[in-house]
Amino acid sequence: MYSIAHTRHIGPIALACRGLAILALIPTVASTQQPATAPAAAGTAAAPAARQQPAGGGLAYEKTVPVIESGKWTGKRLADGQPDVSGDWSNTIGNHNNTTDPQGGVPNDPRSPPPTTKREDRAPSRISDPADGQLPYLPWARAKQIEFQNGFFNNTKPEYVEPLSRCAPAGIPKSFYWHGYEIRQYPGYVVFLFNSGSRIIYLNNQQHLPSAISLWQGDSRGHWEGNTLVVDVSNLNSKARFGRTGEFTTENVHVVERYIFDNDGKHYNYVATFTDPDAFSRPFTVTVPARRWTTDDKENGWHYEVPLANNPGKPPIADHFERICVENNFGFGQVAVQAKK
Amino acid sequence: MRSATRAQSLLVGMAAAAGLLVATHSGAKDLDSSTAAPTPSKIPRSADGKPDFSGIWQTTSAADYDLEAHSGRKDAPPGVGIVAGYVIPYTPAALEKKKKNFETREAADPRLKCWTLGTPRGIYYPEPFQIFQRAQDVTVFFEFGHSVRTIHTDGTLHPVDTDHEFWLGDSRGHWEGDTLVVDVKDFNDQTWLSRAGDFHDEAFHVVERWKYIDANTIDYKATIDDPNIYTKPWDIEVYLYRHREPGFQLIENYCYTHDYDQYYPLPKE
Repeated sequence: MYSIAHTRHIGPIALACRGLAILALIPTVASTQQPATAPAAAGTAAAPAARQQPAGGGLAYEKTVPVIESGKWTGKRLADGQPDVSGDWSNTIGNHNNTTDPQGGVPNDPRSPPPTTKREDRAPSRISDPADGQLPYLPWARAKQIEFQNGFFNNTKPEYVEPLSRCAPAGIPKSFYWHGYEIRQYPGYVVFLFNSGSRIIYLNNQQHLPSAISLWQGDSRGHWEGNTLVVDVSNLNSKARFGRTGEFTTENVHVVERYIFDNDGKHYNYVATFTDPDAFSRPFTVTVPARRWTTDDKENGWHYEVPLANNPGKPPIADHFERICVENNFGFGQVAVQAKK
Repeated sequence: MRSATRAQSLLVGMAAAAGLLVATHSGAKDLDSSTAAPTPSKIPRSADGKPDFSGIWQTTSAADYDLEAHSGRKDAPPGVGIVAGYVIPYTPAALEKKKKNFETREAADPRLKCWTLGTPRGIYYPEPFQIFQRAQDVTVFFEFGHSVRTIHTDGTLHPVDTDHEFWLGDSRGHWEGDTLVVDVKDFNDQTWLSRAGDFHDEAFHVVERWKYIDANTIDYKATIDDPNIYTKPWDIEVYLYRHREPGFQLIENYCYTHDYDQYYPLPKE
């Protein structure tokens, strides 16, 4: 039985399962009532050890997306002149359960009924354009998305298993609402360390890689415009899904990301425009609000998996452990390694 | 005779530069990389004056094939290895296990499943890694598996809890002159040290010493210990060369996804 991918900074988990995981039900994080902090074990999968549970706190559920305009940067700068946005960040409105209704749970979840709240009482769709919050699919692409969504809890085909469950990188845009993440900055680079996968944004204005190379996280070339990091993304392999609702693009997608940082240093909006005429009738825009987490925050098993460093007698420092998705290291189907002694 | 004049002045300049080098490094007769040895003057340095290892690095050695001295064989070129004394001091029981690993290496080497290579194997594996450096940390970004290791240089200590069992170990570094000294521990027992089946368990402990020998070459040394596996600590040394090809960059290699890539064909009309 397939247990959800969950990046940990600890060793192997006990694995009781055998055989091809692809035919198994995927335990999923069910709904807004059961935030995605504790992947439930299903079938014969071993229950996660206690320390794999999140340390306090749950998934944040703000209802609105702040307005942050592109403009001047008046905040701190690094020595190379970049706005200093280094640190820990996480999205504010939900996880990857549902792209267009971020607090609406996963459709068809057998263990969790649809939300009873009114749609307008939940956070808006991550699709900020078109205005109806829906993806402007071509009919064939919509059919494929629905097929995945329907197969998610009845995964009779390998392709219905969300790749992230196998520890594949979350890709674009899902990385921005799959756990908290860290930004590190260097002259010429902005580096994202996500829960599943990492991304190097090149600020060197060079050309994209040859089109023969396709990548989970794409090839990213960026520059700063005031408070906004503008990144041009190509070379996506488009194997990652936007969420458990199955949205996808084709390999011919071109993404322009705008990371618009509030001068308060505490918030930013990820605003990405996807152009992919092979699957969509027009470009669309994804908006993901995020906020900064610091050592003033409590450790949180979803947004801020960052303990305090061992630094006795000195000011608190956030410690950053390796983020290695355990199943990476177990190969397909988790069948490679036995439970530890 | 303008050209001759120019050549002469060039020679004079070179001699002056050489003289300066001699003056700076009198006594440095070889590439001794011990902490006490002086560093070449023209190495990249950070704003805080520390050596700046930022860049893309890769070994040209065959260390990953076999750390010990060995003859050529079908799956490895010959080599003297990178172990001081040529032989790893395994306990008798551990040596038996190493031999078994060697016999089954074509299937059992964790690298074939694209598991995170660990420390120090990731450093001398024949695929590039990039170093990003700030005052508070040195980030080692491996192309293989796209895994990321943080060497903390902010004065923090190993975590109080010692049972994290990291794939890459917990790395705390400090500077001794121009040498970055890194204490690495709290490992799991899942990684190998080479394709030849060299291994360790959770008591694995690595102390690394990173030092420039010129602006484009790092002398990487490590003292390796595991009282459960080896009879005494042992040393390795390998040079890392900077990639200087125009436009060279890491290309993400999430190779562990290849086993299931086939299940995610591009959705087609």
